[in-house]
Amino acid sequence: MWLPALFLIIGLLLGFMTNMSIPAEDTNYLSIAVLAALDTLFGGVRAQLESKFDQKVFVSGFFFNVLLAGFLAFIGVQLGIDLYLAAIFAFGVRLFQNLSIIRRLIFRKYYMRKQAKKDDKS
Amino acid sequence: MKTIFTKQHFTIGLVCLLIGFMIAILFNTNYQTTERDTRDTWEIRTALLEEQKVQQNLYTEIAEAENTLREYREQTEHQQIESLQNSIQQLREQAGLTEKQGQGLIIKLEPMFLDDDYQEYPEINAELLQLFINELSAAGATEMAIENQRITNITPIRDVNGNIYVNNTSIGDLPTEIYVLTNNSEEIVNHIEVSEIGDYFALENVTMSISKQSDIVLPEYDDLIDLQDVDIVDVPEEGES
Repeated sequence: MWLPALFLIIGLLLGFMTNMSIPAEDTNYLSIAVLAALDTLFGGVRAQLESKFDQKVFVSGFFFNVLLAGFLAFIGVQLGIDLYLAAIFAFGVRLFQNLSIIRRLIFRKYYMRKQAKKDDKS
Repeated sequence: MKTIFTKQHFTIGLVCLLIGFMIAILFNTNYQTTERDTRDTWEIRTALLEEQKVQQNLYTEIAEAENTLREYREQTEHQQIESLQNSIQQLREQAGLTEKQGQGLIIKLEPMFLDDDYQEYPEINAELLQLFINELSAAGATEMAIENQRITNITPIRDVNGNIYVNNTSIGDLPTEIYVLTNNSEEIVNHIEVSEIGDYFALENVTMSISKQSDIVLPEYDDLIDLQDVDIVDVPEEGES
């Protein structure tokens, strides 16, 4: 559990310390990529809790989602339609869905553990 | 403790690293620190002085305009017409529509031949000439003419098929003479001598010789001044940007 958090912090530090920045017109792409990445991450957490986690699906999903989101934003810019809003909407909805499922799964696990302890005692 | 470092953990960690990196970059881009004013007191004081000078100039202009206005009001009709004509004359002079006479410099641009080698006949380009004219005005030249073409505020200098056109008229090949009216010849000569423009000309195998004259006559600009494509530059208000 602590390893991903550590890596997240390392990534943040790396980003801040290199002081990199991208042109202002490309922030759309990056923000949507971040959203896609977060979506994949929470999807992975959910799959883990449901013990359905598959590493191949996770890694490929991560890169595929990020690229697809970027591509959608790019097409949107070319066509003059705010297509990236569609991606933001889709990812946002999925993010919340995943989070709520994760919450429920954690609750269930917690209760089950409590129940198991009670059963042990009695 | 179970196995801490499984491949699965590592993959998730890597994804987290990427996410962290992207977020950091996004953050950096969105929250770039605004440029700080790093001028010291002396620089600020100089800038202030310059602004004050501009202000002073504006005040003088306003005073002059008010003076003219008062004259118009106080005069009889005949006098009014006369002062209007005076104003028109003055404006024509400012625009370069009249001949002008005075002391100044003649700058001759000549080909520079180096002894031994075979060499093409040197040419200058419009860009260089423009740079030179800008340099001269910065040095304090009041009126200028290239050959017999008067330089006005909207005089174009451009390359047309290898020739240089000033006011839509070719000025021909080198040597070229530039006439400059100024009240302070010495300053311009010094300015030109220390500026890099001489080197730029030398790169094109052109040398310049400057001679002071007490009496130069500049030709008038004889075309219509076409302001059709001239637009007011959109200057942002102070403190707006």
